[in-house]
Amino acid sequence: MKIYWIILLFALIPGLEYGYCLYAAPDMGAGAVRIMQLRRDGVSRIRYPDALPSLLDMMNERANARFDPDPLFIESLTDERLFENPILYINCDELPSFDFSTEENDALRRYMELGGFVYLDAGIKASFLGTDLGHSYAAWEERDEVRSWFGEIFPEKAFAPLPRNHEIFRTFYKGLPDNEYLRLEEDQKRLPDTVLTFVEQEKWPQGTYSLVGIRVKDRLACVASPICAMGWGRDEFGAWIPPISFRIRESAEDFDETLKVASFSGQTFEVTREDGLKDEIYLLPGQRPLWVKEPTGRWRIFKYYSGEEISNYAHSFYARLGMNVFLYALLN
Amino acid sequence: MKLFMIIYLFISLVFSLAAEDGNGSSFPESNLSSQLQAVEAIDPPKRSSMDVTLDDAAQKLKSSHVQERTGAAKLLGKYVGSQAALLLIGALDDASELVRRAALVSLVEHFNNGSPVFEQALAEKIFSMIGDPDVEVRREASALIPRLVPGLMRSGMEKIQVNGRTVFRSVPGRLREDLRQLAEECLRDTDSIVRQNMLKNHYSLRFQIPPQTFGALLEDNDVAVLLAALDQVRMYATQPGIYQKIEALAVHRDMGVRAKLAKTVLSLGRSFPEYRKVLRQLTNDQADEIATLAAVDLARLGERVSPEMIDRIIEYLSLSRGLYGKAETLFYSLSALGRDSARIYEALLVHPSASMRAKAWHHHLILSEGWKSPTLWIPAMEDRDLQVRETVLSLVRGRVDKIEKNELLRLIGHPFAEVRTMAAELLLVADPKVVQNQFFELLIDEDSLVRSTTLRVLANLRFENWIHLHARSLNDEDYTIQRAAMDGLLGDRAEGVPALLEFVRKYPAERISSLARSELQKMGIKP
Repeated sequence: MKIYWIILLFALIPGLEYGYCLYAAPDMGAGAVRIMQLRRDGVSRIRYPDALPSLLDMMNERANARFDPDPLFIESLTDERLFENPILYINCDELPSFDFSTEENDALRRYMELGGFVYLDAGIKASFLGTDLGHSYAAWEERDEVRSWFGEIFPEKAFAPLPRNHEIFRTFYKGLPDNEYLRLEEDQKRLPDTVLTFVEQEKWPQGTYSLVGIRVKDRLACVASPICAMGWGRDEFGAWIPPISFRIRESAEDFDETLKVASFSGQTFEVTREDGLKDEIYLLPGQRPLWVKEPTGRWRIFKYYSGEEISNYAHSFYARLGMNVFLYALLN
Repeated sequence: MKLFMIIYLFISLVFSLAAEDGNGSSFPESNLSSQLQAVEAIDPPKRSSMDVTLDDAAQKLKSSHVQERTGAAKLLGKYVGSQAALLLIGALDDASELVRRAALVSLVEHFNNGSPVFEQALAEKIFSMIGDPDVEVRREASALIPRLVPGLMRSGMEKIQVNGRTVFRSVPGRLREDLRQLAEECLRDTDSIVRQNMLKNHYSLRFQIPPQTFGALLEDNDVAVLLAALDQVRMYATQPGIYQKIEALAVHRDMGVRAKLAKTVLSLGRSFPEYRKVLRQLTNDQADEIATLAAVDLARLGERVSPEMIDRIIEYLSLSRGLYGKAETLFYSLSALGRDSARIYEALLVHPSASMRAKAWHHHLILSEGWKSPTLWIPAMEDRDLQVRETVLSLVRGRVDKIEKNELLRLIGHPFAEVRTMAAELLLVADPKVVQNQFFELLIDEDSLVRSTTLRVLANLRFENWIHLHARSLNDEDYTIQRAAMDGLLGDRAEGVPALLEFVRKYPAERISSLARSELQKMGIKP
């Protein structure tokens, strides 16, 4: 990161040479870090407009960090402002396509080599989700489009899953939100039993999630995650927006036999798991997944839970994770 | 096939024995599963029909094993249809809460596409689960209320005898009395999520909450319940005791609640003037964001805001980190202050946030009609953020009717291209002598938009020698310059068009020539 700032200083020198006198411009929050967001074609595809500003506000409040609450929107990676700011956020679902010019790819490579950090939200997306932007699925590999895009930028590198004990998951928050954090009374149920068990043991153990990353010059320079921005937004009174529901894997005593022969006329998809093996997802076209055959031979059913408590919990988790990623990017 | 079945049964038997032993090491699961998969790869088990699957689930729902009944209830969620729904409805009466939970979650899955439950009996049965002893069941059932309403509130016809005659009359949709009582009890549920769900939806169930109950909800320990209650308070604003509860919330510990209160009483204050007192009380709030929001809300209701409060608004907005959240709400409410807001906008011109500065400049210039005096808006051109400069430029563009030499020179020598483009546009309203001396500076600008804009302006001004200048520019390497030159020449039939004709004939292969020929033909001129 130090190298980045030195380079940045040099990058600013030509501006001074040409007499870019900013005498009347105010100091941008006296050193506040500005997060850049790539937005390709204006506002037409923006899905969670409150997300990043809400998260920046939360980071300023909770962590006493100094982030400019206005993200800096850039339309192209050749924008010269890219090299003035250390963190670039891209919501891959908001990109109209993954077509980047050679100049843009070169700029991004240079940016990452000079110490810039890229956060690819929705950079992980299971193929069966298709164009449905309202769902996420924690696969353990980057989406195909991201793989081929970064293949052009860093042909010699590949994304690798971040281990559950990676410090990115503990940069600021550790573990999952408890009742106190959720502002629930001590004796209140946080989540339905089956949901809580699955969340704690499999979905987000110890507050971790499926992240993959690329290291550049011995530094984690890019992280891709399933869509997290849906969990960052708050309204002006502090209530989370929009509602989020959970997909949970549930089992029953006889599912290994029942689901194997139960009536089914849809398609199956393979999705990479944390251990590198493949889950076989069963779903009907246009509908949410029905059940899964795991590589161990175990069959489990997908159940869907929604409601205030589910949504609040999911928001709390995604916001804490988002904070951890941005603060990690800033501190490492 | 028989051979396969024998092998399969043998392996299944061995597997079940190993599982009952509970000794994974005696028969490693991974080995077993790989062998099973190998068998399946040869001939995977055939899937049963929908009828068989549903019959099987129906049988399992009668099982004495809770796990088996739970599994069947979970599976039935995957088969949307009346047969599966009926089985699940039956399972809602199961003695085990695990089965009831699974059945309800599966029923919710049936209606996941957002379609409401129209069947009255079905809707009433699901709704009755809000009285279940298990909190998870109550949460699920109460969250489903919006989709149950059409079924619960169905109107109909009834046949009665009046003076011996048969009369048909309509019956309005109404919640069954026992269900209404359940719903009222739900508002006092021990679980805050259940209370919240019912509170949010009770109006669509068309029942009035008793004032004591609503008053209790306004004192709820759970902030989310309080926020939901404040959303509903208009219906109960004149009920006895409600005003006092609202007044008490003005000192609530949670700032979000007080902010919501400010917004709520602003709305109430329009219909019920006594609620304005709460707003006045909130202007003394220790938090600047609440006090200032309340003050501006009072201004919306026609009350004057004191200079001290204006100072407080300036201080709060200046310290806010950007145009976001409550600061954004407050900022966009400032117009209610009328001319008094000018001082605030002026103070925010140097705010650290670019969005805030951009909006502040916009409002500042509108209030002061700043485009009439370039000294008011030119300082914005020094802002480091493009968003600010573009906001101001788009506001003053086309409105400036005069500019002095020194002001124009400042813009011409500016480091930012969009500002120099503006300078080129302003040649239109500058003194001709100044134009004469300065236009060349813009014509050789490094930015093509500045150069092309200058060309267009010179054509518009019919400036001395402009024909020659435009004719030469047709040979420029930059297409935008060629295009501007062509457009300029096309606008003057007497001298410009002949010059363009000459160029087209002399350079037929030049990029701009084909477009020029087409434009000339449209004018009836054969190139």
